[in-house]
Amino acid sequence: MRLLRLKVEQLRRFRQPVEIRDLDAGINLFTGPNESGKSTLVRAIRAAFFERYKSSSVEDLQPWGDSAAAPTVELEFEWQGKRWKLVKSFLKRKRCDVSVDGVAFSGEEAEDKLADLLGFEFPGRGASRPEHWGIPGLLWIEQGAGHEIHKPVEHAGSHLKSVLGSSLGEVTSSAGDALIARITKERARLLTATGRPTGDFATALEAHERLEREHADLQGRIRQYRQQVDRLGQLRDEQARDDGERIWEAYRQQARAAEVRLVEVLAWQREQERDQQALQVCQASVRTSLDLLGRFEAQRKDLHKRAADRDVAAQALAAQEARRPAVERALADARTAFEAARVAVRLAREQQQRKDLARELEQADAELAGLDQALARARELHEALLRQRGLRQTLHIDAKALARLRKAEDELARLAIRQEAVATRLQFDLREPGAVTLAGEPLHGQGERLLLEPAEIVLGQLGSLRILPGGDDIADLVRKRQGLDDDRASLLSVLGVASLAAADIRHEQCRELDGTIRRDESVLESLAPEGLEALAGRRQLKQARREELARLIAALPEPQQGGLSVSRAEVQLDGAGESLKAAEAAEAGFRSALLLATQALESARSEWSRLDGELQGADRRQHEKLAAEQLLELRANENRLEQALRERQKQIDLANPGVLRQDVERFTRSADAAEKAAEQRRLELERLKASLEALGAEGLEERSAELDVELARAVRRKDELGRRAGALDLLLVRLTDHRLQLTRQLQAPLQRHLNRYLQLLFPEASLSVDEALVPEILVRQGLDGEERGRFAELSFGAREQMGLISRLAYADLLREAGRPTLIILDDALVHSDVERLGNMKRVLFDAAQRHQILLFSCHPDSWRDLGVAPRDVAGLGMPAAPSP
Amino acid sequence: MPRFLHTADWQIGRQYARFAPEDALALAEARLSAVERLADIAHQEAVDAVLVAGDVFDAQTVSDRTIRRLFNAMGAYAGPWVLIPGNHDAALAESVWTRARRLGAVAANVHLALSAQVMAFPERGFAVLPAPLTQRQTAADETAWFDHAVTAPGLVRVGLAHGSVQGVLAEGIDSPNPIAADRAGRAALDYLALGDWHGTRRIDARTWYSGTPEQDRFKANDPGNVLLVDIPAAGAEPKVEVRAVGRHPWIELEESLAVASDLERTIARLQALPELAVVDLSLAGELHLLGRQQLEAALSVAEARFRSLRTDLSRLRLQPTEDDLAALHADGYVGRVIAELREEQEGGNAELAREAMAILAALLLETRGQGETA
Repeated sequence: MRLLRLKVEQLRRFRQPVEIRDLDAGINLFTGPNESGKSTLVRAIRAAFFERYKSSSVEDLQPWGDSAAAPTVELEFEWQGKRWKLVKSFLKRKRCDVSVDGVAFSGEEAEDKLADLLGFEFPGRGASRPEHWGIPGLLWIEQGAGHEIHKPVEHAGSHLKSVLGSSLGEVTSSAGDALIARITKERARLLTATGRPTGDFATALEAHERLEREHADLQGRIRQYRQQVDRLGQLRDEQARDDGERIWEAYRQQARAAEVRLVEVLAWQREQERDQQALQVCQASVRTSLDLLGRFEAQRKDLHKRAADRDVAAQALAAQEARRPAVERALADARTAFEAARVAVRLAREQQQRKDLARELEQADAELAGLDQALARARELHEALLRQRGLRQTLHIDAKALARLRKAEDELARLAIRQEAVATRLQFDLREPGAVTLAGEPLHGQGERLLLEPAEIVLGQLGSLRILPGGDDIADLVRKRQGLDDDRASLLSVLGVASLAAADIRHEQCRELDGTIRRDESVLESLAPEGLEALAGRRQLKQARREELARLIAALPEPQQGGLSVSRAEVQLDGAGESLKAAEAAEAGFRSALLLATQALESARSEWSRLDGELQGADRRQHEKLAAEQLLELRANENRLEQALRERQKQIDLANPGVLRQDVERFTRSADAAEKAAEQRRLELERLKASLEALGAEGLEERSAELDVELARAVRRKDELGRRAGALDLLLVRLTDHRLQLTRQLQAPLQRHLNRYLQLLFPEASLSVDEALVPEILVRQGLDGEERGRFAELSFGAREQMGLISRLAYADLLREAGRPTLIILDDALVHSDVERLGNMKRVLFDAAQRHQILLFSCHPDSWRDLGVAPRDVAGLGMPAAPSP
Repeated sequence: MPRFLHTADWQIGRQYARFAPEDALALAEARLSAVERLADIAHQEAVDAVLVAGDVFDAQTVSDRTIRRLFNAMGAYAGPWVLIPGNHDAALAESVWTRARRLGAVAANVHLALSAQVMAFPERGFAVLPAPLTQRQTAADETAWFDHAVTAPGLVRVGLAHGSVQGVLAEGIDSPNPIAADRAGRAALDYLALGDWHGTRRIDARTWYSGTPEQDRFKANDPGNVLLVDIPAAGAEPKVEVRAVGRHPWIELEESLAVASDLERTIARLQALPELAVVDLSLAGELHLLGRQQLEAALSVAEARFRSLRTDLSRLRLQPTEDDLAALHADGYVGRVIAELREEQEGGNAELAREAMAILAALLLETRGQGETA
């Protein structure tokens, strides 16, 4: 849609006709200060479309104070190759004419045609309000309303959706939202938001559960009732049978019979016990008799044995006696041999002692000679030492004094040298001897003298020369020398020598003498370590020993030829001792054996005679006979008793008293049990009857059948409601899903356009739109990553920018859907900073490639770089305005 | 000569879980009123005895009130009633019969045959040979003793038993209690009155099942009758008249809907069914949304006519037509949801899809209705 021409007359500020021609297909910028008429132009365009020509609510269109005016707007635009012309007058001359390529329409028909074309509505009555403005309300931004987008979109909503929908080839459901609301409500009656049963559904489930429980309970009781009925039948049968048989009486009779039999058997058992005791007594007597007879027999056998023993002992004694002579002879021989061996040993030992003493004597003689020699030598050395020590005493020289002397000599020597060095040297060469004297000494020939003190040289006749050696040193040296000379002299006198050399010689002599003394002392020491006296004592002791030895030897016999050695003799003595000991032992053994044999014989003899005496007695014979007869009698009695016992036991075993006793017990108990059971059954029967009568009166099965009816209904209701809940749930999910899908499809193209503009403002940003196609959240790339802001929470300036971008995006969508678009901006973007405004200009310029834009502003400087020449609105009202 | 009313399987105390409680109650009551009608017939026809062949009560432990009401219902006929226990009310050690006696509910003219003993009615010219069941189930033929039972000569011999005739009734008998097929012949019975089979059935000239007087299940085996038996003389062949006494026929109707006229035919059939019937209707096939509305209206009418109407629509798929959708403004995504559900009525989620479709259709219809009235 392109607006070509606009003419306004008798409208507010413009009392005179004002016409704007040659509108550009893109941006048209209208500038001018406040109150210059920009808003009047905008109002004129809006009124031309939105207000009914008949409306009386448009007095604001009249110039101030001119109630006779007929405000008129004339518009021409081009749409899809057709030229539309609209002329609308209000108030004083109400009229509307539209011609489309020459086809004329008028009145409300003309107005409705425009409304259809642009997508807005007329009010029922009164002035047009925002909710009627539809799509133009969105695209024509009023002063200061650019930031508000929510309401305009809402008002344009149905137009937008139908336009967008048809562009997608989709038809939204006209009844959808109402249906969803309805189904949500229906579902909420049965299910909670989380899908749990509620309301009737929950009640039905509870009722079902309750009835199930009741039913199960009742079934249990019916089962119990039936079991009791069966039990009753069974018990009645049993009772009838038992009452006929009276079984316990038979049991009692059997018990009695068994008891009678048992008493009989018990009597047998008592007899058996008696006989058993008699048998035991009898058997004991038999054993006693047998013992007695056995003893008698044993004694007889013992007598025979003892006789034999006695004979054996006699033989043994005889044998011992026979050994006696041999034993005694052997002993005597052994004693003789032993005595001889003893003598031989004594002799051998004496010989050996004499030999030893002789050897010691020899040795003592030798030692004595050595001692004599040593003693002589020691005495000699002792003498020598005494002499040397005396000599040494005379030669003694003090070593320290000697050292001092040597030192004084050395000092003197050094002083002499120094004197020579400092002394006045007097050299002479005299041809005439003796003519000259020095300090009285005649000089002759060649020579040299050192002068240390003033000296006078007498030159004979010639007079004399006095020489005075110079320097203090000379005098000092002379004084020192004198001191030293004194020291030396004193030392020499102390040492008792004439000179140092003499002292040295004496000193050497002393040392040699010391050596000799030490040598001799050491020799003496080795000869007589304990002194001379001790040595002499030792010699005397040795002498005494020698004499003792000689005496001892003399006391011993002379050695004989062929004597035995001591060891040999001792060996022989040992052998003889052993033999003697053996012989003695043999003899002692013999004696004891003999004694034993004698005793054995004695005792054997006495034993035999005692027993023999006993057995030969008359009582004894009688006793034996009696015992034999008694035994025979006892044997017979025993046999008889055993026989009786065996036979009776057989009888008892046959009767089996244990089993009899059990029988008695068993039959008695059976009878008791049967009677008790009958009694219990009677009681149970009564109980059962009472219980069944009570239960029967309750009409359990009928109640159960009734309950079945209720239960079946509860199940049906539960199932129905469950199915309905499920179905409602399914419906809700499906409808919501599809609706969402559709919304997404609708949003997509708008989103695309939005983002295209947004890139010019904020790179990489995106603006999401909600279900109603209203911008919702702006996502930008900030310094700290992604920033999200709800549209409503953005700054005023940003909201205005976003609002404009959104409107442009809607315009793009409308254009794509083949709908007319015209964008009017009245004083837009006044809250944008320079940079943003710059970017927004790029946005506007881009949009102007596709849409016609009318931009009104009181800040011409801000828009200078929009690429179009501004039109000054202030100049429009001027009559001078030319019109081609 | 003797004339009997032969009936059986009253099943007093029976309840009907599959029906709505009010219907179930009415059907239970109907059984008692059937007995009242039997008593009336016995009285009008002046029969010599009413023979009841077992299963008088549906259970042993019916309420005292029910017991009393039954015996009261028999009051219109003062002649002898001979009742035997069946498998539902067997003569156990404690049974509904012992209770009835304890309650003093049994009138003097009502003879409870609780043991296998001949009951002679010489003044009326007949003797009854009863075969009461004394256990819930028995594998022995309780009528065997009839063969050797001695009755006074000249008396008509009538057997009274409850069970299944061997080799004849293979199916549907809820008791294994066997009865020899040739019992009437072997025991020289003039007539053998049987119970247990709920339909009227002739086994041979002398052996009949009377069936229950009031139908109690969907089984078209001729129930709802009582037998009027005339025995001209001992040994003569009995004349048996089948008389209908039931009030509530039980009818199962299965219809398949494919084309539009099927629905009309079904509705017509439903309208043709007798009043007071117990009807079980199951529909299969496809139905469009507006057809469903029509069906529901017809069912609502029918429900009021019948004693009970149960409908099973679980195999009926809702198939909205383009017209339906247009009429319901089911455009856009709602239309797509409908299309999805239509598909799913065939799959594993069929039940839920069908229900959802029905709800959706109902809501849309309602909305449309509001739209039209507004």
